[in-house]
Parts: sequence; C-alpha cells; structure tokens
Amino acid sequence: MNDVLDLRPAVPAAMVAVTGVVVLLAQAFTPKGARAPSFSLSLAGLAGALGSVWLLWSGSGYGAVLAGALAADGLALFLQGLVLAVAIVTVLLSPGYLRANGLERGEYYALMLFSVVGMMGLVASLELVSMFVALEIMSVALYGMAGLDRRRRESQESALKYFVTGAFASGFLLYGIALVYGVSGSTSLERVERAIGVAGAQAQPLAVLGAALLLVGFGFKIASVPFHMWAPDVYEGAPTTVTAFMAAGVKAAAFGALLRVFDYGLGGLAQHWQPLVAALAIVTMVIGNLAALAQRNLKRLLAYSSVAHAGYLMTALVAAPMVAGEAILFYLVAYAAVNLGSFGALAALSKDGAEPLTLADVAGLSERRPALAAALTVVLVSLAGIPVTAGFVGKFYLFGAAISAGRIGVVLAVVGVLASVVSAYYYLRVVVAMYMEDPVGEDRWSHATPAAAIALALSVGATLVFGLWPAPVLSMARLAARSLL
Amino acid sequence: MNPPFAHVLTLLLLLPIVGAVVVALTRRESESLHKLVGLGVSLATFALSTRLVTLFRDTAGMQFEERQAWIPAWGISYHVGVDGLSLWLVILTTFLTPLCLLGSWSSIETRVREFVVFMLLLEAGMIGVFVALDLFLFYVFWEAMLIPMYFLIGIWGHDRRIYAAVKFFLYTFAGSVLMLVAFLVLYKTAGIRSFDIPALVAAPVDPALQTWLFLACALAFAIKVPMWPFHTWLPDAHVEAPTAGSVILAGVLLKMGGYGFLRLAIPLFPDAAVRLAPLVGVLAVIGIVYGALVSLVQTDLKKLVAYSSVSHLGFVMLGIAALSTTGVTGAVYQMLNHGISTGALFFLVGMLYDRRHTRAISEFGGLRAAMPWYFAVFLLISLSSIAVPGTNGFVGEFLILLGAWSFSPWLVVAASLGIVLAAAYVLWMVKRVFYGELTNPKNQGLPDLGLREATVLVPLVVLSIVMGIASPLFTRRIEPAADALVRLVRERTTGPQPAVAAAAPAQPGAAR
Repeated sequence: MNDVLDLRPAVPAAMVAVTGVVVLLAQAFTPKGARAPSFSLSLAGLAGALGSVWLLWSGSGYGAVLAGALAADGLALFLQGLVLAVAIVTVLLSPGYLRANGLERGEYYALMLFSVVGMMGLVASLELVSMFVALEIMSVALYGMAGLDRRRRESQESALKYFVTGAFASGFLLYGIALVYGVSGSTSLERVERAIGVAGAQAQPLAVLGAALLLVGFGFKIASVPFHMWAPDVYEGAPTTVTAFMAAGVKAAAFGALLRVFDYGLGGLAQHWQPLVAALAIVTMVIGNLAALAQRNLKRLLAYSSVAHAGYLMTALVAAPMVAGEAILFYLVAYAAVNLGSFGALAALSKDGAEPLTLADVAGLSERRPALAAALTVVLVSLAGIPVTAGFVGKFYLFGAAISAGRIGVVLAVVGVLASVVSAYYYLRVVVAMYMEDPVGEDRWSHATPAAAIALALSVGATLVFGLWPAPVLSMARLAARSLL
Repeated sequence: MNPPFAHVLTLLLLLPIVGAVVVALTRRESESLHKLVGLGVSLATFALSTRLVTLFRDTAGMQFEERQAWIPAWGISYHVGVDGLSLWLVILTTFLTPLCLLGSWSSIETRVREFVVFMLLLEAGMIGVFVALDLFLFYVFWEAMLIPMYFLIGIWGHDRRIYAAVKFFLYTFAGSVLMLVAFLVLYKTAGIRSFDIPALVAAPVDPALQTWLFLACALAFAIKVPMWPFHTWLPDAHVEAPTAGSVILAGVLLKMGGYGFLRLAIPLFPDAAVRLAPLVGVLAVIGIVYGALVSLVQTDLKKLVAYSSVSHLGFVMLGIAALSTTGVTGAVYQMLNHGISTGALFFLVGMLYDRRHTRAISEFGGLRAAMPWYFAVFLLISLSSIAVPGTNGFVGEFLILLGAWSFSPWLVVAASLGIVLAAAYVLWMVKRVFYGELTNPKNQGLPDLGLREATVLVPLVVLSIVMGIASPLFTRRIEPAADALVRLVRERTTGPQPAVAAAAPAQPGAAR
C-alpha cells in the first residue's frame, strides 16, 4: 500500500486498455481489403489479463494503487477474472454473428475492451469517485456497442434508451455520493464506513438518503424493478453478442460495486437499507417473472428473466456481508455462464437479419440442430434453478444466505422459489418449442462457427460442472468475500 | 462386505448414466443399437442391484453406506445407503426399467436415441432419490428426475402431451420448491451445519417450527403420491404419457412421495407428524374412496387405471399415517405391489393400444375369444389389483388395515369401502372389455400376446403371485426399518419407551 511505484494491481486493467488501443490502431493501419486481426488481438489481450489476474490472486498481489483508490483485493480479482472470462467468451461468439449481420467493424472489439476496463475498475474501486468514473467508462462504451447495428431502428433505440436511462442513473449515483461525502467528509469507502460508525443520530438521515439514492443508481445498472424499464428494449435491440456481454458482465460488475458500497462502506446503515433492498427484491422477482410470462420474443423473454435474476441476487443482501458476498459471487459466476450460453445460442442461431427470434422460430430446433437445442436446454434449466446445474446451486446459496438473516429472509426465499416456479413455465415453453413441436418451413438457421461452438461448450460446460462440483468456485468466492470485512 | 460391493450403490447410479452418455454419443440412425445398449445397461443394473438383496442383513440400520464430502463449507456430502424402507424400491426401479425398454421396443419409433437416454437418466435419478442420505443430494435427484420424465411425456406422449408434460412439471416443481426452503430453514435452525439426514434426524427440532417444515415437505410428497386433493396432474400425465412413461410414473415415481414421508418428513419432524397424522389419514381415505368412485365412471381404460392409482396410493398413505410397524410395513409393501400390478396394467393397456389405437372401453367387448392369453394375464393382474387373497395386493392392504385399526377404526371401515369399490370398477371393466360377444369387427383377429410382450409380462405375473404367497421373504427385510422408524417417533413424542412396550404392536401374526 505504501509503495507508490508498485503498479502491479493495475496491470490487468492496463493490459486490456492497451489492447483496446492496439485494436483501434491495427484497424486504422490495415490496408484496404485486408481484415484487421481484431479478433486474435482481443483474445490475446484478454487472455493475458486473465493470466495476470490469476498471478495476482495466487501470489501476494493484494494491494492498492492510486492512493488507495483502486484495490487488487479478493473481491476485485475474483470479479475481474469473471469479467475477463465473460469478455473472452463473448469475443469467441462474435466473429460468426458479426459476419452474419454485416457488423464486422474493428471498433466493436475496441469498445468491448474499453468497457471491460470500466468493469474491472468498477469492481476494484475503493473510492466513490473512481468508482463513478469506472462506471462511466463501462457504460459509455456499452452505449456505442448497443447502437452498433445502426441500420436497424431497434439498435438505435437501444443505444439511445440505454444512454438516457444511464445518464439518469449517473445523476442519482452522483447525488448519493455527494450526500455520503457530506456526512463523512470523504469519498473513500474505508473512511465512509468509519465516519458512519462514529456519526451521531443527527447525521443519519442524510446518510440514509445518500444510501437510498445510491441504491436507485445501482438499481438502474442491475435492472431491478422499478428501474428496469430500459432492459427489455435495450436487450432486444442491441446486437445479440452485445446483449450477452451486457447481461453477464454488467450485472457482475455492478453487483460487485453494490456489494462493496453497501456491505462494506455503508454496512453501518444495514438496518436502514436492508428492508428497502428486501422490498425491491420482492417486486423485482415478482414483476420480472410475470412480465417474462407474456413475452414471445426470446431476447425480451431473457431480458425480463435477467430482471428477475437481479431480484434473486438481491435477496442475499439481507444476510451478513460475508454470507451475502459468498452467495452473490457464486451466483454471478453461474449467471454469467448461463447467460452467455443462452444469448450465445441465440447469436449462433440468427442469420441474415432473421432476428428477432420468436418462440415460433425455434420450433423443432432439436431436429435440425440437436447440439444447439441441447445446449440451450441446459442453460434454460439452469435459469429455472433446477439441478444438476450451476443455477440450482446458486439459488440454493442465495436463498440459504437470505434465510440465515431470519424471518425476512424466509419470506424472501419463499417468494423467490415461487417466482422460480413461474419462471420454469416460460423457460420450458422454449424447450417445448424446440423439442415437442415440429419444425416449420425450410431450414433457415445458420450453423455455429467453430469459435462460437467453443464458446457455447465453455458456457454449458461451466453450467454443468459448477452444478455438480461447486466446491472450488465456492471456496474462491468465500475467500473473495473476505474483502467485505 | 467384499470390496467390489463396497461401492455398489455408486455403481448402480453410475451405470445408467454412463449408458446414457454412451447412447447419446452414438449416431442418430443406429436405432437398434440404442435399444440394445439401453436394454443391456438396464439389465446389468438390475443384475447388480440383486446383490443388494443377497447381501442385505435384516436389521434396521443403513447398509452399503458410502460417504464423501461434496461441498464441505455447507456440510453437504455425497452420502448414500439403503435400509429396509428403500431396498425394495431400488429393486423395483431397476426391475421395471428394462421391462419398459423392452415393452417400448416397437411402439417408440421416433427419436429412439433420445428415448433411451432419457429412460436411463430417469432410472439413475430414481435410484438416487431412494438411496440419498443427504438432503441436498436427495433434492438434486428429486428435481433432476423431473426433466427426463417431462421429455418422455412431452415428446412421445399422445395428443395432449405438451399440456400434460408442462402440467406435470409445474405441479411437482411447485410442490418441491417449498420443501427446499424447509431444508434451508432446518439447516439453519438445527445448528449442526450439516445436510446429512441421519445427523439431522438425531438433532431434535423445535415442535412449533416442525409443523411448518412438515407441511412444506408434506406438500411436495403429497403432490407426488398423489394425495387427494393434489392429484389432478396425475390423470393427465398418466393418460398422455407413452406406455413406458406411465409404467415408470405409476410404478416408481409415485412411490417417491410415500418414501419421502418415511425417509424425511416423519423422522425429521416427528412431533408434527404425530399431530398431523389424522389429517393425512383422512385425506388418504378420501383419496381411496374418491379414486375408486371416479374410476367407476371412466370410459377410457388408461384413465381408469390412472384413477385407481389415486385409490391404491390412498391405502399406502393410510398405512403411513397409522405410524405403526404393521402399517408402515404394509405401506412399503403396498408400494411395491402397486408398482407391479399397476405397472403391468399400464403395459397391458399399452399393448391393446398398440393394436387398436384406442383406449375407449366401449370399443371393446368379447376380447376373451380373440386374445385368450392376453385375457388370462389381464385377469390375473386385475385380481392382484383388487387384492384377492393369494395375490400380492391382499397382503399389502391387509397389513395396512390391520396396522391402521389402532389408529382409527373409523378410517379403516371407510377404507374398506374402497376395496369393495375396487372390485366393482375392475371387474366391471374386465366384463366390458373381455366378456360378451365379439361384436366390433375391428377386434376380430387381433393377435394374441407376442413373445416380446409375454417376456415383459411374465416376470410381473410371477412376482404378483410370489409376493402374495411368500410375502415374508419381502416383509422381513422391511419390518426392522419400519419398526425403528415407529419407535423413533414414539420416543421423540412421548419420551423414551421401554423396548418391550415399543415392540409389542410390532408383532402381528399376519406380517410373519
């Protein structure tokens, strides 16, 4: 901490940032007609960053840079690793999808890499202003990615909507940060925690208001009801690989920051914000799942399911920090695998503007693309929280964590499992279409590229392996959650 | 125990899974290969499971136990074992699966590979439920097994298969999720940081809390049994499922409900179990009478058999509610009987459907002349289903009624009404299908049982007679475990019992 020149904790993020610049430059210097090596460059940069995260994790890399603004503690490294893995899988999914939709442009990879830098900063920030900056880096890049398919109106709408609501969320976050600063005189989470501990009762209302505003801001980012309105449109309109990246990556990064701010910085106010979180969790689970029931478009269906999952994740927040952190971190891993699998399968399926995929579009898929249908089935089963998948183990821990908090947790868990039953209906409807209905018309589906097949195999494999053998990831999550103490 | 059989339960679980993976990796077109591998693997599983019987010692404790840490942080382990309550249910599973595969040899024509894969996965899941001794493991098998069954109904079922499959899935899933919450609450309150079932049974739970937890688990099990009024998924699922699906559903899946009560709900929450036993008993008897009355008016053969299951399973639940050694032994025995006789009935109805593609009773009449062997088997199985002395059904129902007498004579009297009604609906059906003149020209010249069909039916017929005559062969393995369960409940609810007093009701002559 004292060694100012030790920049090792910042190496992974720096590697990704440099790769992003290199990808842009390579694009500019590639002769006309030749294809820029954006794909391989991005893959190499991300893999290198993942490797350095691993070195920091297994070595003595813990520490902080920039005067304690950015940390390389367990929580940061765990989630940075997750975000990098998500980015790698997304990159693998991309070439086939981009080619099929005429979106092969170098800035796609560059924007993704910059967004990853933002996510990595977001989960590593120990200080509210740098957290805000990181959040903006992540979001601005994503706005661009969402609107990449600029000929499609839905894609434009997606970008604009995401941008407007994102700006709105930023406003709430900033105001919240300001209020917290007003109470504690600092934006460093460590000092905030201490200040709230010693602050008298008269400072409390201000701090609680600040916490509430921060919660609203994060609520937008994790798409919790009632701040979820943008999610279906954005998820539907954005290119599918971008949706996969957003769903898996943003949720992980935003929840990481949420955990750090609330369970660490504002831990002293837990009795004030926990009921709020519990109420939000309940409405999010109920409304997310009920709305998903009515969807015919697969991307919208998955978007509402992603809203519902934000609700499941929030249930664990009523527990003690360590317990909540462990459960949420594990679930984020499971959720990332499952989302990459589900959106990835959709991306692998779509063909020359045949999007959006409706339920009718996947009818009889098991006859035409048995492997893809099986993959999609596994991830849908996992989303519903049925063994032997990671989704089940994840929900088991989330609700287990909630129940450890007592009566309110039991209520949350009961609502959560009943909501899961509702969700099983709409997930199964997709399975029904794929397996129990006959294919309509000629075979219009594209074949998955080898890279996409690898990406899907990774996602589905992780879904099953973490479902059968969760202990290693779980102990890593536990180690990471210690950062919240 | 000699070393090869130290891991016999794990092998039993792995064999069908490995078989399923192998079949899944073969080419889609080689259908006979899929069937042969499926049959071979399921027969091997059955052969292996017979070792459980030969090596089983007639004591109350767990046998063939294996334990391996799985998720140590939460005290979750891979813990399996069998005792008298589960032994025969495991055997029933491994026994019925090859018969189902053989029975569907020609009736399943599409997507054979997937069919075999799902049947084998289903077998592994069912065995898993019966041998799991860890709540987490139990729940994993309990839920995971829904998926293959859902596909079996939804892909190979009849006209309304999708509706039936989704209804089956949602109904059972909705029932089980609250059980999961109950498990988590139990984990938290028990304070031993373990999901191990024997360990949790040994750690008493606050009686006030027990009622809630018992109800949450009982809901899951009652839907599975199914007990009235949670039975409405069953007729749909049974009728729409392909023959193999119906056989497995009736033969094994429904038993998980009764087994769940015996393995989890009662020993974990004994106070609540005793308090709520009258409720369970009354619902059971309503189910007996209701199921029989509804069977009486069915016009569809398969639906009739399906509703008769509601009635038969009512007896099982009555025996469990009685919480006496005789009653519990009878309940377990009756679960086996029902698996054999109703399984056979579904096979028989399926064979008729293969020939005529209808199940309407009115389409038949006088079949006795056209299919004498088929008729003979059908009649015999029907007699076993209505518990005629000399067949297996008689022993089970008699033990249950005997065991329930001290629990409530009134319920026994009401349940006896179900026996009379059973005779009525079964014999009336037999009369309408087999006796009289062969009037319908479509029934002329229907082929009698073929060799493959006979191979499927003979073991079932033989068993229903053997189990009727030589019942002690089976009950003496069940009884010690049933007695231990009953004694555990008594000790928990009324304090320590002198061994003699506790054993006294455990020596009914009929059970011997």
